[in-house]
Amino acid sequence: MDDPRALLQVRDLTAQFNRDGVPSRVVNGISFDIAPGEAVGFVGESGCGKSVTARAIMRLAPEGSSVAWGGRILFRGRDLLRIEEREMRDMRGRRIAMVFQDPMTSLNPVMTVGAQIDDMLCRHAGLSRRAARRRTVELLGLVGIRDPALRADDHPHQFSGGMRQRVLIAIAVSCQPDLLIADEPTTALDVTVQAQILRLLMRLGRELGMALMLITHDFGVIAGMVERVYVMHGGDIVESGEVDALFAGPQHPYTRALLAAVPRIETAGRTT
Amino acid sequence: MIRMVAVRLALTLPILLGVSIVAFVLMRALPGDFAQASAGTTAISAEALDTIRRNLGLDQPVWQQYLVWLDGALTGDLGRSFATRQPVTGELLPRLTVTAELTLIAGLMALTMGACTGLASARLRGTTDWAVRGLNSLLLAVPNFVVATLIVLLAGLYFPTVGIFNYVAFASDPLGNIASLLLPALSLALTVSVTISENTRAAVLEVSSQDYVMVARAKGLRAWTILGNYLVRNALTPVITVTGLQLAALLGGSILIETIFTIPGMGQYLFDSIANRDYPAIQAIVLVAATIVLLMNVVVDIAYARVDARVSYD
Amino acid sequence: MVAIGFVMLAALLAIVILGPVIAPYSPSKTSPGSLAGPSAAHWLGTDSIGRDVLSRLIIGGRGTLLITVVAVAIALAAGLVLGLVSGYVGGRVDQAIMRVLDVVFAFPVFLLAIAVVAALGPTLQNLILTIAIVYTPTLARVVRGPVLSVKRWDHVEAARSVGVGEFAIAIRHVLPLVVSPILVQTSLTLANTIFTVTALSFLGLGPPPPDPNWGSMLAEARQFMELAPLTVIGPAAAIVFASLTFIVLANGLREMLDVGSR
Repeated sequence: MDDPRALLQVRDLTAQFNRDGVPSRVVNGISFDIAPGEAVGFVGESGCGKSVTARAIMRLAPEGSSVAWGGRILFRGRDLLRIEEREMRDMRGRRIAMVFQDPMTSLNPVMTVGAQIDDMLCRHAGLSRRAARRRTVELLGLVGIRDPALRADDHPHQFSGGMRQRVLIAIAVSCQPDLLIADEPTTALDVTVQAQILRLLMRLGRELGMALMLITHDFGVIAGMVERVYVMHGGDIVESGEVDALFAGPQHPYTRALLAAVPRIETAGRTT
Repeated sequence: MIRMVAVRLALTLPILLGVSIVAFVLMRALPGDFAQASAGTTAISAEALDTIRRNLGLDQPVWQQYLVWLDGALTGDLGRSFATRQPVTGELLPRLTVTAELTLIAGLMALTMGACTGLASARLRGTTDWAVRGLNSLLLAVPNFVVATLIVLLAGLYFPTVGIFNYVAFASDPLGNIASLLLPALSLALTVSVTISENTRAAVLEVSSQDYVMVARAKGLRAWTILGNYLVRNALTPVITVTGLQLAALLGGSILIETIFTIPGMGQYLFDSIANRDYPAIQAIVLVAATIVLLMNVVVDIAYARVDARVSYD
Repeated sequence: MVAIGFVMLAALLAIVILGPVIAPYSPSKTSPGSLAGPSAAHWLGTDSIGRDVLSRLIIGGRGTLLITVVAVAIALAAGLVLGLVSGYVGGRVDQAIMRVLDVVFAFPVFLLAIAVVAALGPTLQNLILTIAIVYTPTLARVVRGPVLSVKRWDHVEAARSVGVGEFAIAIRHVLPLVVSPILVQTSLTLANTIFTVTALSFLGLGPPPPDPNWGSMLAEARQFMELAPLTVIGPAAAIVFASLTFIVLANGLREMLDVGSR
């Protein structure tokens, strides 16, 4: 169970929201591991607790609500639920980074996109403004933005949804984190752009040696992208395993239902 | 950008015209005779009155009188004061500067107080939020002339040596001038700060729940960076708008406050003019004040576009 | 919140209605001791010519609140008519009404009020009329906004399609939906009007003496306030209490009716 090789070990994680004094549990003690450089998928419908799990690893509570976490989240041996906020803040972005669902609302509208990468580099890599900007331009090029030196001075509203998600990915990978959490990174995008973004995530994961935690409701996204899958339902992990094995013989009825919802499943293992 | 300014000004023009009509009609609809008021005394011969009428152009049709007056107003000639026989423009300008200064200081005070309390209220929540909102409700209920009166009362009772009625001209002592305006500005600013505070609170709460703030936290940025670059910069736009729109309230309020603190501004001029039945002066004050408010609204719109890059690209 | 507001309002109304009954003295009756402190005979002391401050506060409140309520009622009626017509009819009528209101709106409220009262003379009718004029645009806009968005709603369309008359639609379907913002705004306007009425009286542009009025009482008391602070505190507190009543009421109504959610 305690695989020394693991980058992230989650044990008995619980999450409980407190809404108007009524506690409601959304994650019921789940355990899983992610190895360095490994790509892992988390699949389940909305409200199954997968996003809450991701937020727990980042230790980010939604604004204005209180959430109580239980269990342990060991990241390179440090329990993220018990370290000081100060240390956690150094972890965020530097060691663990996250890409969010909606690129249209995830960029600060009043800052240039370049500045939104600069501030991250200045914070974690200790770069000067000038050095940070040089790195920012490289990063924008890396995620496939054309004319990165010019575009860095544009505001988010001048970018399309797919381009914005590329910028957000550039932000997330800017400090070469060990773990990149992507929470439904393609859900808000056009179908044609989805595949591009997924391929970009995979490529960067490989090139930068990042572990990838890919969260989605769509088995079609997982197929061909990750090695292992965890299926979540109602705050529990109901099934897990190698992605091919799971596709070939799903054990849990919920997994079967999810797989049945993917029309392309007969042609196995290919994303759109 | 230039196009936008032009459009905004073009939209304001008809309103300005309407304002000028109101200002003109208001003073011609007087119960007394305009010429009589101009003469200042009641014991005046009919011939003399006729001469005055002719001199003031009162024998012309009303619309012609209006055009003549408007033409003058456009070139900066607002007529002659009945009381002093001097051009109104020359008398109004120095007083306008004083009022503008008072309004500006009060506006800055209100913005500082409102932005700070609103921000604290939204970020700290809990007791701070509760206390700020309670205090705001109370402050909103205290009219500025009551605040001013209470300030004067307290100063008189406990700090009799502090001369609060000693207005100092800017030219003679700039620092003393600003100092002499602080208490009047405070009494003006309190009520206005409530509006700014409430709007800041709402804006910050709105911005706090935005995804990009969550992204900023996920980036591991320091709390101050998030506050400054993500929360405040985004919440600023509506706050600027509200502050600009409160200018009318400040300008109207300063009329009252000036009379209480005996500051030689537009308010005092207005009262002297009312006391003297100096109609051209009243007319000028009303016109100038409304024009300032309208132009400020245009400036607010433009400032809005400067702060928020999205607006100008619409 | 709303409950507190209504209790405060009830207290205000009680004073207005029962004023002459509960006031210990006639507001114009003088007694030998002027500027006296609080005593058993005069709870809040006497003013500069020996009149009972408490009685004058009570009777003065009657005057102040009466002007306020009547003026706001007129402004509300005018605002409702203009806002409903403007929002409902739309087109050129809407444009014309809104432009005229824009002009009135461009003046600082208080400055306009002073100018109008100064021009027309400080009588009771003029005062009420002036205040009604300056607050009509705010109320009209508050009515127009929701009307614009409401009139295209499905159930309004449905009513229209089955041949319900336009006037009936406006009254039956559109009006109820604009009630909450109007209630809140009316309450706020009442608070603002108290300010304007007392401020005008404070400057000597209120209803002519001898009727006492909180604003003029405050102005009179100012001259002697270092000798008798209570004569200032009394009207000041009364003005604050009255405005606070309507502000608390507005906040409570806003929360209860959930206008604009935050």
